[in-house]
Amino acid sequence: MTSQQDYKDRQFLAVIGDEDSVTGLLLAGIGHVTAPPDAQKNFLVVDNKTDNAAIESAFERFTTERKDIGIVLINQHIADRIRHRVDTYTAAFPTILEIPSKDHPYDPEKDSVLRRVRRLFGE
Amino acid sequence: MAETTVDLDTTIDTLLERYLTLLDEYTRLRARLNGLQSGIYQNLARANFSAQRGVRYGQDHYDDRMQAARRVQITQSSPSAGHHVIFDMIKVTADESEENDDKNNTKKEDQQEEQDEKKSAAAATTKDDNNHDGSGKPSPPPKKRNNHDPLRWFGLLSPQPLRLAQAQAVQAVEEIIPRLASLSAAMADVELQVRRARKKRSKAEKVDHQKKLQQQEGHLHGNGGQEEVLPAH
Repeated sequence: MTSQQDYKDRQFLAVIGDEDSVTGLLLAGIGHVTAPPDAQKNFLVVDNKTDNAAIESAFERFTTERKDIGIVLINQHIADRIRHRVDTYTAAFPTILEIPSKDHPYDPEKDSVLRRVRRLFGE
Repeated sequence: MAETTVDLDTTIDTLLERYLTLLDEYTRLRARLNGLQSGIYQNLARANFSAQRGVRYGQDHYDDRMQAARRVQITQSSPSAGHHVIFDMIKVTADESEENDDKNNTKKEDQQEEQDEKKSAAAATTKDDNNHDGSGKPSPPPKKRNNHDPLRWFGLLSPQPLRLAQAQAVQAVEEIIPRLASLSAAMADVELQVRRARKKRSKAEKVDHQKKLQQQEGHLHGNGGQEEVLPAH
C-alpha cells in the first residue's frame, strides 16, 4: 500500500536515453538541474562510449537515491544493457517506462507491463 | 459469509474484463507514443540536416541551469476506481523575479516566439493546444510560457522542424507518458486483486471438494446401513 509520503515530492521525469531521445524530451521542458553545488541532472545521454556501469549508476540514482523522481523513461535498447537491474526493480515509485529510440523500435516482448500481462494469464 | 466459487468466478471475470480494457488503452497509447517519437526523431534529423555545418541540435547546447517547466504530479485515485495512483503532468511557470527579468529583456522575442510556436504546434497537431486549454487548470499568460523554453538553447531563430519536434514531445509528455504510468499502476492493482480472488477461489474449491467427499461418504454409509438392514428382513 502506498502512502502519500512515498510520492508527494516526486515531481520530475527522468530520462536515460540516446542523444535524440533526451533532446526530444528536454524540448518538452522536463529537464532539471538542481541547485549547485550538487547540480544533479535528471537525464543521462548514453552513447557508444558510455559504459554499463554509468548507466546502472544513473538508474540507481534515479530510482533509489533521489526521492524527487516520479517517472523514469529509458530507451529499451539501453534498458537491455542493464536488463537484470531493470527486471528486478519492483518499487512502486518511480515508475519505469521503456521507450523506443531512433534506431531501435519498440519491442512489446520486452515491455515490463506486457510481461506482467503474460504472467497473469499463465504463460 | 464465505463467497462461493461461482461468486468468485464472477468477480475474477469482472476484474479480467477491466484488466483487458486497461490493456487495450495501454496498447493504443503505446502505438501513439511510437508515432510521436518517430515524428520527433524525423524532425530532429531534418533540423540537423538543414543546420549550419558542424551544428547539431543536441547535448552541446543544453543549458546547465535548466529548470523543469513540466513536472509530474502524483495523486491517489478515487476509491471507486481502485487503489492505485494517478500520474499527471503539470506546467509550472518561472519564479516571479526571473519572470520579470526575462520579460523586460525579451518581451518582444517572447511574443514573436509564442506566435511561431503556436503556428508550428497547430501544424503538428491540433490536439496539443486543446490539451493546454483542457487540462482543467487556468492556462498561464502567454508571456510566461517561454521563460524556460528549451528552444532558446539552440538560438533565437530555431528551425521549423525543431519546433515541430518540440510540439510532438510536449504532446507525448503531457498526454501519453503520465497516462501510461497511471495505466501501469492501475493494471498492477487489478493484477493484485485477480491473484487474491484466485487464491480465495482455490480455497473455496478445496472446501467444496471436501464437502462433496464428506457428503459422498455420508451417502455411502447411509446406503451401506440400508444394505445391511435389508438382508435381515
